[in-house]
Amino acid sequence: MASKINPPISRRNFMKISGAAAAGAALGGRADLLHALSADQASQATEGDRKIFSACDMCFNKCGIIARVDKSGNIRKIDPNPNYLKSRGMLCARGNAGVAQLYDPDRLQYPLLRKGERGEGKWQRISWDEALDLAAEKMKTIGEKYTRCGFMFMAGTDLQSTFVHRFAEVYGSYNILSHESNCLISRNRAFLDTFGIVPIPDTLNCKYIIMPGANRFEALVTPDSMDIVTAMQNGAKLVVLDPRYTKTAALATEWHAIKPGTDMAFFLAVMHVLINEKLYDKKFVAEKTFGFEKLRDHVQQYTPQWAELECEIAAKDIVRMARELAAAAPAAMVYPGRRSSDYEDSTQIRRSYAIVNALLGNWDRTGGMMYPHKIKVGTIPYDAPFYDSNPDDRVDAERAKMMFDEEGSFKHTRDAVIEGKPYPVKGWLTYKTNPMQTGANRNKTIEMINKLDFMITVDITMSDTAWMADLVLPAPSYLEREDPVSSFQGSSACSGVTIRDPIVPAMYESQPLFNIVKALAQRLELGEFFDFTIKDFRAAQLKKLPEVAAAIKKEGVYNEPGVTPGQHEGKPFRTVSKKIELFNQRYPDKGIDPMPVYHPPQKTPPNHFRLVVGRNAYITQSSSTNNAILHQLQPENSLWIHPKAARQSGIRHGDRVEVTSSVGKGVLPARVTDEIREDTVYMDSGFGALSRGLSNVFGKGASNSEIIEDYADEVTGNMAMHETFVTVKKISAVRS
Amino acid sequence: MQTNNHKKYAIIIDTFKCFDCKACMVACKVENSVPQGYWRNWVRHTGGQQGKRTHFQPGQCMQCEAPSCVAACPAGATFKRETDGLVVIDPDKCIGCANCVSACPYGARYRNPATRLADKCDFCLHRLQRGELPACVETCPTKARTFGDLNDPESKVSRLLKSEKLVQIVNPMVNTKPMIFYVKGTLPADWTVQPTLPGNVHMPLEFWTES
Repeated sequence: MASKINPPISRRNFMKISGAAAAGAALGGRADLLHALSADQASQATEGDRKIFSACDMCFNKCGIIARVDKSGNIRKIDPNPNYLKSRGMLCARGNAGVAQLYDPDRLQYPLLRKGERGEGKWQRISWDEALDLAAEKMKTIGEKYTRCGFMFMAGTDLQSTFVHRFAEVYGSYNILSHESNCLISRNRAFLDTFGIVPIPDTLNCKYIIMPGANRFEALVTPDSMDIVTAMQNGAKLVVLDPRYTKTAALATEWHAIKPGTDMAFFLAVMHVLINEKLYDKKFVAEKTFGFEKLRDHVQQYTPQWAELECEIAAKDIVRMARELAAAAPAAMVYPGRRSSDYEDSTQIRRSYAIVNALLGNWDRTGGMMYPHKIKVGTIPYDAPFYDSNPDDRVDAERAKMMFDEEGSFKHTRDAVIEGKPYPVKGWLTYKTNPMQTGANRNKTIEMINKLDFMITVDITMSDTAWMADLVLPAPSYLEREDPVSSFQGSSACSGVTIRDPIVPAMYESQPLFNIVKALAQRLELGEFFDFTIKDFRAAQLKKLPEVAAAIKKEGVYNEPGVTPGQHEGKPFRTVSKKIELFNQRYPDKGIDPMPVYHPPQKTPPNHFRLVVGRNAYITQSSSTNNAILHQLQPENSLWIHPKAARQSGIRHGDRVEVTSSVGKGVLPARVTDEIREDTVYMDSGFGALSRGLSNVFGKGASNSEIIEDYADEVTGNMAMHETFVTVKKISAVRS
Repeated sequence: MQTNNHKKYAIIIDTFKCFDCKACMVACKVENSVPQGYWRNWVRHTGGQQGKRTHFQPGQCMQCEAPSCVAACPAGATFKRETDGLVVIDPDKCIGCANCVSACPYGARYRNPATRLADKCDFCLHRLQRGELPACVETCPTKARTFGDLNDPESKVSRLLKSEKLVQIVNPMVNTKPMIFYVKGTLPADWTVQPTLPGNVHMPLEFWTES
């Protein structure tokens, strides 16, 4: 095994730079700068530095990077790759801090076996052979005793996660979870069930964007975050609906501090205005949508005056915004957003966004909802073996009305494992995801883990999830790995394909996930399904795409610029009616309202606040809060609380407060600010870590995953994280 | 217009494009090995919302034409380069007195706790010498900063100087003639400090302007 690690840096995929002229060639379009440099200056360029293309992994965006490696083989700096249309030659704070992930003193160095109680932090160093033998033996015995579905798998967004899925399938478990049920599956469900596909927003060319709940200037998505700025410079209006004054709200044309959980009321009233004032795209609606008459009748009850009482946004403003949307259509949109893990009806809330977009006729048109175009790469196919003893379905089946089988629901799986119903699940492997910090109700996650016979975590550092595991296996960071080819969609800007090669050799004893599952497969007599290398896998992926391989080699990325409007013209929609379904025909049979029906959010009890989640631009939840550089920007989280609410509880700015829900609590400093509604409080995710292996965030601030109660979207099983009410109590005064 | 080959490097910042992601701060920190807890650049902002758009405003050493830090340096360690106008620190000459730190109206300097020497932004001179842009300029998602040579009439900065209404942020007491320009409308504008010597020693205007 050891001989397989540390593959040499691929000669094909790095660029050797020996002077400014070569740097100019690599950076393209920089001639204006280069000609300004005299020859003697150019000769001072650092000799021996190499520049290597790769793709960032500090969040899910996969922005293009060029790493500069010095003579001693260390990465000195990561710069943006200007060839990369998706990321537009940018790299955010997290991307720039990638070197601190690589050289993190908290990195896991070798396999660790739990010695004390779970979460006690007593570990024994073992060899890779011992670790893999033990893991394989546990997989075998748990599989024999509880069926293969008795071992579950969870993999986050990562280029190697495909191998977790492959392994789980050939091992024989249906119980594969992704991170997405703690994130965006209700949005996907809603847009899929309206348009038959999840469209991409052409923010760059849009003239009027209503952004409900999303925070695109802090929760960065390339290129949307930049494109919205460009659109605004070109005169576009941005309207933000958010209980919190995010930086997106701060820069918006209009900000409305909407009452949390009432966005659907706002959009039902917008539909009311669009339909009753005949402002919708009549030709488009007649030709391309299904159920308009039903929708027209349905929204009559939802007047702007009614909505004003629900959302606390003036009826006249709702009417005005509906008219402004219509005037700008089809270059107008309700921005779909990403994370939609908020309410028990989060799919229906997103359906209301999708339906307004349909009424605006912005489908497949410039500045609207574009038809996605992802470049299809190949694979090495396989037929997973069939296991007779297996149960019929996933362990979380039937717990939500229309779950995505391939994503599952973390919330429902956890409940099922705790209950042991419909069958016991006793093993778990996690990779590149940290449900201890991303799934609501941390104590329940601990309860589930305590039901398991064996848990394996593959990670870079001792995350809170690794902290609870029985076996912790060290993985290399994205800067040390050879990854499969990745096809991506860069919003309306482009589609593309990228690749990741090791920029430096894997550090310590770390092993990529691929090597781990391959070694486990060999031990479980499943080696035939992993009878290839990553290079073979890539070759299969790019077999029919030689131009892609050539472009990646030359520029670090293959781009197909732009998504042109009209791509979908004349094609049927992938829905029952073959049209955009304002009225969803599959929903009634599943017991789901075919059109969004408004149910007011739970009333905030006296002396309580609704806790909402979100984030800023320099942390990716728990995966980067411990980063030594990013930690300097934010050493701890704080509780955003309105001055009036704070005054009532005698809380001053900086006081330490205890935030308590029915499931947990946390202590953190108060940030007394009028940048949040009086009935709402907020804290950043990724703090209050339990793991002593995270030296910067262990015990720092509060963990919102401990405090948030676990509700689920009834349609998808998406975690619903805005349904929790908390009390806030002063613990100690700010030191003055 | 000068007739020699000298450059006059400047940065023009369009703060409309800044959403305070702090990419520039981290890029600079890594590029220049800025010690923990210190930064060579920053993003300021106007507070509160009250129906107004918040302004975010990146900044760093302004590479002033009349730098008060140079006037304050007793060792000749801080000087303005003739060839490109950059204000730099010669570490061999710096005695670590930190006179320059309080002399900067922009708070752009600090004393490195490890080396005990003054430090600040130099527009990534070492990157310029490699034919690269300053790290903060290159990494910015929205390209809020534009870098270039004002002595080159064809450069982007020269063209922007002609086409855009630009402002400089200056201290009302001592105008150090900064080489960072902002697109008009930028805020905040009232954050500079009056140059002093350590111990809050105020010097006559001539001290700062006749160096």
